[in-house]
Amino acid sequence: MLINPIFALQALPVDVNFASIAPELIVIIAGVLVMLVDAFAAPKQRWLTGGISLAGIVAAGVACVLMWNDAGTGGVVTSSFNGMIVVDQMRLSFTFVFLIVSALTILMSMLWVEREALPAGEFHSLLMFATAGMMLMASGGDLVIIFLGLEVLSIATYVMAGFRRNDLRSNESALKYFILGAFSSAFLLYGIALTYGATSTALEGGTTNIAVIADRIAAGTAIYPQLLFAGAALMIIGFGFKIATAPFHVWTPDVYEGAPTVVTAFMAAGPKAAGFAAFMRVFVFGFPLVATSALSIQVHAAWINALVVLAILTMTIGNTAALVQKNVKRMLAYSSIAHAGYALVGFIAAGVTLDITKQNDAIAGVVFYMLTYAVMNLGAFAIVMLIARGGDRRTELEDYTGIGFKAPALAFALSLFLLSLLGVPLTAGFIGKVVVFRSALDPAVMNDYRNVMTLLVVVGVINTAISAYYYLGLIVVMFFRERTTEWRAPRVPASVAVTLILTLAGVLYLGVFPGKVIDAFRRNAINVSRLR
Amino acid sequence: MIIADLFQTLIWIVLAGLAIGSGVAMVVQRNPLYAAISLIGVFISFAGFYLLLGAPFIAAVQVIVYAGAIMVLVVFVIMLLNVEEEVRKPLRLKFLIPAAIFGAAILFAQAAFIIYSVGASPVRVPNADAANSQIGLTKSIGTGLFTDYLLPFEITSILILMAIVGAITLARRPTVLLLVEEDYDGKKHVERRTLKIDNI
Repeated sequence: MLINPIFALQALPVDVNFASIAPELIVIIAGVLVMLVDAFAAPKQRWLTGGISLAGIVAAGVACVLMWNDAGTGGVVTSSFNGMIVVDQMRLSFTFVFLIVSALTILMSMLWVEREALPAGEFHSLLMFATAGMMLMASGGDLVIIFLGLEVLSIATYVMAGFRRNDLRSNESALKYFILGAFSSAFLLYGIALTYGATSTALEGGTTNIAVIADRIAAGTAIYPQLLFAGAALMIIGFGFKIATAPFHVWTPDVYEGAPTVVTAFMAAGPKAAGFAAFMRVFVFGFPLVATSALSIQVHAAWINALVVLAILTMTIGNTAALVQKNVKRMLAYSSIAHAGYALVGFIAAGVTLDITKQNDAIAGVVFYMLTYAVMNLGAFAIVMLIARGGDRRTELEDYTGIGFKAPALAFALSLFLLSLLGVPLTAGFIGKVVVFRSALDPAVMNDYRNVMTLLVVVGVINTAISAYYYLGLIVVMFFRERTTEWRAPRVPASVAVTLILTLAGVLYLGVFPGKVIDAFRRNAINVSRLR
Repeated sequence: MIIADLFQTLIWIVLAGLAIGSGVAMVVQRNPLYAAISLIGVFISFAGFYLLLGAPFIAAVQVIVYAGAIMVLVVFVIMLLNVEEEVRKPLRLKFLIPAAIFGAAILFAQAAFIIYSVGASPVRVPNADAANSQIGLTKSIGTGLFTDYLLPFEITSILILMAIVGAITLARRPTVLLLVEEDYDGKKHVERRTLKIDNI
């Protein structure tokens, strides 16, 4: 083989490993395929794009499961593309959650694009790209990949929020999300830049690789330690916006209310989980506590304390603001803020647990929480979409008055989802909260943070009690209020019926037999980000 | 060597003055076109800074992308929107003035913090020597792009593809159609819908 001497001189390793990004590749290829098929298919075949997307999701799921099994036997690489991509349990578990969210969103969207006569191909391809973005956020071992994944996800979501172009609320939602989202991305990018600068060493420039950042902080070779605090603070703001924590939550109700219900369901479940994946990757693995390094101890204490304040604010503001909402979508938006607060408790627990096995348990708890939230939230929004009718016209609380006995199946299903969001035993939401709070109260938590974690759990439980008012309130409105106007139950099309059956089964299965799923999420007590 | 240093400092002062002057001019100008041209001055002087730091590639990109492409875009927008010269009228949003002062104070504090923390570091980075720097050269960027940053480079292409799809979806020429749908109180809803041409 002839080798160009100029290039042979610099034989630089690229470490290309397509197997390690197989799920992402499959989803991206499916997204491109959807666009091509949509361009040439006859206008009648609108289900085609949804079908291809679903097939892509299933194929990506298979790839994910294969990687999962390989990871169990140690037969797979732990990082590739020069550390850009990591393969570990946390990444695969989150990928699994994203695929479920996307599959359910596609099922829900089939009815919507048909009824509103929207361009199905564009919607499904954007959804596939958004999924790929989420997966990259979970698999990135480098801040560059995490940022790019976040941008792919965000831009797709901005467009999807404004997908109903003739609806002013949808326009407002998209514009608000776009402007504030771009603003928060800038914060994140600035934080990344400062962290890059802060981790310069005497011999080489800075780094964006999360494992190397942790190494340099621990070894004390980072020469501009003060910048690290500014970088971490800006990154907390950037990620905090994406997962909707108070006080960076103000965009959430408006955007969730105005966006088409399918997109709202996706936004509340998918990007939030992806935000948690990236947030945990950067902070738990990038700024861990190393007892021998003074800088590491300071940085760790700083971000833990900041997150504790955020978690308390998020839970309290989310739940109290939800009490006074008159619009169901707005109420669920505030509920989604509150749930981000509960999940933050698990995140902080992962940060203050030094034992690696226990830390993995805490991370698995957050992933499980995201899974339960995704399932019950998508189910609830599917019913809200049906009741809202065309153009999302009927989303006020009074539109639900007395529908309980006129559409019993829908009303009972919605009640179950609401009870699960509240966290009633035997539902998924209960187990999710138990898992998260248990890791917060685990004896493996560092002594200094025992009291703080107890306080967080107490705040969480009090907030759960507050949230009972508005979740049960909606159930009361549906079943125990008399309706004076006429109301006919909406027709439930097959694709939405499948969504509802899957989410109902999920809520009950995760609520009654959660053990298998949790065990799968924490099976390999090895985290590559920790190995380096 | 001393003369070279002196000369560099002199160029730096000229560029800094140009940057600040153009920046102020941009904010003060009432005519949007003049403001845009002042912005070019800022971009060009930044390109000069990059050259002084020994990063010719970044300087070239700064001129081509910012002073070139992005400015053309800005001028096009001004032209298409037919923006008139702003008329001086009483300020409606009075709270913006303290907000602007607050924002400026934060930026200054931030800059001071960065300068302080870089200065406080006992180590001097050898790369800071512009003559021997490997950062910002065409060769080092090309090598980085196709080795360490190969995957991010490819993801960026996905990002751009998706942005195109999204932009076209949102900006496509509308075709109006009336859709009639029956609501649950038996009332007919008539709505104007915007549709793709091949869907009708």
